[in-house]
Amino acid sequence: MKSKTGYFIEKLIELILTLLVVSLLVFAAFSIIPGDAARVMLGPNASEAQVELLRAQLGLDKPLIVRYGSWLLGIITFNPGTSYAFNMSVAELIGQRLPVTVGMSVIAMLMVIIISYPLAVVSARKPGRLGDQICSVIGHVLFAIPPYAASLLLILLAGSLFSLVTVGNYVSPKDDFFGYVGCLLLPSFAIALPKIAMSFKFLRSSIIEQRASDYVRTSKSHGLSDLKILIRHVLPNSNVSSITIISIILSDILGGSLIVEQVFNLPGLGRLLLMAIERRDFPLLSGIVFYLAFITVILYFLSDIAASLADPRIRLK
Amino acid sequence: MQSVKNKTNRSPEASAFYTAGLILLGIVVVSFIVSLFWTPYEPDATNAASKLLAPCLEHPFGTDNLGRDVLSRVMSASKYTIFISAAGVAIALILGTVAGIPAGYFGGITDRGIMLLGNSIMCFPGILLALVAVAVFGPSVTNVIWALGLVFAPTFARVCRVGTMEIKELDYITHARVMGVKPVRIMTFHIFPNLVGQLLPATVIGLANMTLFESGMSYLGLGVQPPDASFGKMLSEAQAYVRVAPWLVIFPALMLIFYILGLYFISEGLRVNLSKGGK
Repeated sequence: MKSKTGYFIEKLIELILTLLVVSLLVFAAFSIIPGDAARVMLGPNASEAQVELLRAQLGLDKPLIVRYGSWLLGIITFNPGTSYAFNMSVAELIGQRLPVTVGMSVIAMLMVIIISYPLAVVSARKPGRLGDQICSVIGHVLFAIPPYAASLLLILLAGSLFSLVTVGNYVSPKDDFFGYVGCLLLPSFAIALPKIAMSFKFLRSSIIEQRASDYVRTSKSHGLSDLKILIRHVLPNSNVSSITIISIILSDILGGSLIVEQVFNLPGLGRLLLMAIERRDFPLLSGIVFYLAFITVILYFLSDIAASLADPRIRLK
Repeated sequence: MQSVKNKTNRSPEASAFYTAGLILLGIVVVSFIVSLFWTPYEPDATNAASKLLAPCLEHPFGTDNLGRDVLSRVMSASKYTIFISAAGVAIALILGTVAGIPAGYFGGITDRGIMLLGNSIMCFPGILLALVAVAVFGPSVTNVIWALGLVFAPTFARVCRVGTMEIKELDYITHARVMGVKPVRIMTFHIFPNLVGQLLPATVIGLANMTLFESGMSYLGLGVQPPDASFGKMLSEAQAYVRVAPWLVIFPALMLIFYILGLYFISEGLRVNLSKGGK
């Protein structure tokens, strides 16, 4: 068995290698982008000399490897350059949009945990009962609804029920924190729905599995109550597998928020990404894409470490 | 794998999943087949006289803001959903198998390298990588298929890798190796056929997940291009009319959900069968 530090170092090397490959993928994708950025920025009427000058200013005339090096250096020092389209620092642009994306992800994750946990515990108590089966079928249906379609259906439903959901009114957290949370509730719920189903399914089967194991039977024969066994033994043990699931769900939520914010007209990273795509804004586009992947890589790394601390047997593999 | 073929092993739970799945999937597939020969109206034909009509006898699913018949459009949109998911999964399957089996068979540095690339691809949340690929090469059905195939390849590679690692320890592989059979031949003729049973559920789920991604991209305007109908595009066009014309949202959404849910049910049936019988 590897020691804690040995495992940590191995995972850290894996993290760095993954980030390197991710950065190569991102850079390679945008280096083969058709169309000359300088030409696009200046328009068709610019002279060849002007285009050449701008190319030199942007560093586009340097060899690929040099450009990759300087791009990588910029991006890991959180200084990914200036956006072509907005003429602003990419870091600042992303920072402006972050409250929407992060807020939505956090609220959606909380919803997933708050809703799926109790449901899974109750459902797993009597597997096969009517209530359990209904939950499972609803879970499957929720799993099959794309978040943006769920948003539209929710708008439809919420609109006809209370007509109080105003779509497209974003409130900044600095102005009104509760208004900010309020305007993110419905989109977050739309993203959370399929993930609630996913988390429910995993937790339920993990709890059922744990309850069937020997130690639960032994605890029962020792006279421990069902509730005590559940809280002291079953849940902590199923938590180990939920750590990994949660990191996957978080990354999915992050990806889902990019689309859902379009439905609700929220100024998040998804909108910025689409604008960057439209205007072929290389520094902005690569910045957004890299940092989103970066967050995911870190998430997976942390979940690996957390899982190995919770269950040292993982380090055996 | 054996249990999938052996019908007597089917549990009632699996049968229920199969039935439900095939009915839902059947609705979409039948409407696709019919749309090849006949749709009530031209899917792209606009009609200023019949804008935003609620579902009625002439237009069972209503009409959209340009007077196009929603039923006809839904029927013709199913073609893209089915085609893109099938073609994308085919590419992902081929890439995944070609990368995953050698990774599992040779292990060591080959394995590490291939898995590093696969894991890196999986680190782009959701449709991000596919979006980037389409942004680079331009939105078109072909590019969406390639992008999704690439994004989903690591999933299949993982299944192949783990399966290969188990199979290569079996005696008959050792025998083949001792007899001097070349690795390529062992992987193609002795390992791959035994992976089919594990790849089947992954393929069905892949079809469903790919549809989720594709419709999301079409919704953002980076998938199927207008005037061709696709479920994602129809939903994005319907968005402005959610309140006045809910049928524009409900029918495409339903068809999309039927397709995905049908596939999930079938894969669930496969999973139940695999876990109860077989191994």
